[in-house]
Amino acid sequence: MGVRKVALAGVIAGAYIAVTLLFAPLSYGMVQIRISEALTLLPFLFPEAIPGLFAGCLLANFAGGFGLPDVIFGSAATLAAAVLTARMPTVFLAALPPVLINMVVVGGYLSVLLEVPLLLSMLYVGAGESVACFLLGIPLVLMLQRRMKKGGKFPAR
Amino acid sequence: MKFLNHLTFGQYIPAESPVHTLDPRAKILSVLVLLTGIFLVRHPLAFIPWGLLLAGLTALSRLPFSMVLRSAKPVLILVIFTSLIHIFFTDGRPLIDLRIVVVTREGVTMAVYMGLRLLFLVLFASFLTLTTKPMELSDGLERLFSPLVPLGFPAHELAMMMTIALRFIPTLLDETDRILKAQLARGASFDRGGIWKRLKAFLPVLIPLFVIVFARAEDLATAMESRNYRGGEGRTRMNPLRWTGADTAALGGILLFVALLFLADRRFLS
Repeated sequence: MGVRKVALAGVIAGAYIAVTLLFAPLSYGMVQIRISEALTLLPFLFPEAIPGLFAGCLLANFAGGFGLPDVIFGSAATLAAAVLTARMPTVFLAALPPVLINMVVVGGYLSVLLEVPLLLSMLYVGAGESVACFLLGIPLVLMLQRRMKKGGKFPAR
Repeated sequence: MKFLNHLTFGQYIPAESPVHTLDPRAKILSVLVLLTGIFLVRHPLAFIPWGLLLAGLTALSRLPFSMVLRSAKPVLILVIFTSLIHIFFTDGRPLIDLRIVVVTREGVTMAVYMGLRLLFLVLFASFLTLTTKPMELSDGLERLFSPLVPLGFPAHELAMMMTIALRFIPTLLDETDRILKAQLARGASFDRGGIWKRLKAFLPVLIPLFVIVFARAEDLATAMESRNYRGGEGRTRMNPLRWTGADTAALGGILLFVALLFLADRRFLS
């Protein structure tokens, strides 16, 4: 992995953590929406975001949440979703892997951890993740894409 | 909108304690063992020795007890929510019968058990971040992942990314704060309106943030290249990790404690 890739992935990881820390989840009734989850669509635009999101998620999970199950399974789910998102042909399909994988994996271990019905915890995770990815992630990617087209790439890049 | 000016990543509290000076690898592995031990607890009474261990570790780490308890705050709502589910939806001998809802003896036991299990999981996990500097944590993870390097796992690159992330969190927090204030000055509102309106308000924050991310990454890459950074091979450290007898003793002690508790739980309580 080249220096530039490592640097970009590292700063993306930092941005993921900063956004996670700065914006507490928006609660909307039962559904919790994490703003930082919208960033899981970034691998669609930049492959460097794959390791970046994994490293960011790993560190963010160390700092808060349920501890080890989150660190191991949550980060692995983020990595798997990021790899798939990067390979999706359209931005709308790119939002599917993070929603589906987190729903199954995070919903799955929350169900075991909290001993609540699997369907309930999958619904809980899936709803929040869908809102973050579809309503915030897709517009984010589209706007970044438009900006990249306009200026070739980002002005600073 | 609250601005989190004093936000620091992780919750590291500097102190001169035997726990703080342990090798990060020993602490990561010990927490792994402790959390597995908590998963194996079957009876609510078995949490009493775990509580004593928590108090003991807190004293040994010279941490204020309130600081340790505070780390459970983010999951408190989830703990209450799951406890309520268990209280109302567990079958068994009725304790309170209100016709529509029946609270059972088993439900209450289950709620206490689940609540305690979750709390202990979070509290013990927090020791790692309370007593270990984030940089040490990323060094420790790099060393723990290093056996996977021959399989193609980029352990060094991952640790470097984490180090970069940790270095840039305060910078990016500041930048995000600045963007937020700029948007607020233009009349943006992040906590009013329906869900779509609230989410849409975050877009003008995230886009400039990413422009900054790319600018910073570019500068950083140039700085690293000009300092001849070429990856992990042959790189030396300013503070190399050293595994000592104290680390072996700490990990061994934790293993022994968890094993004894597991046996006691199965033999006398379950």
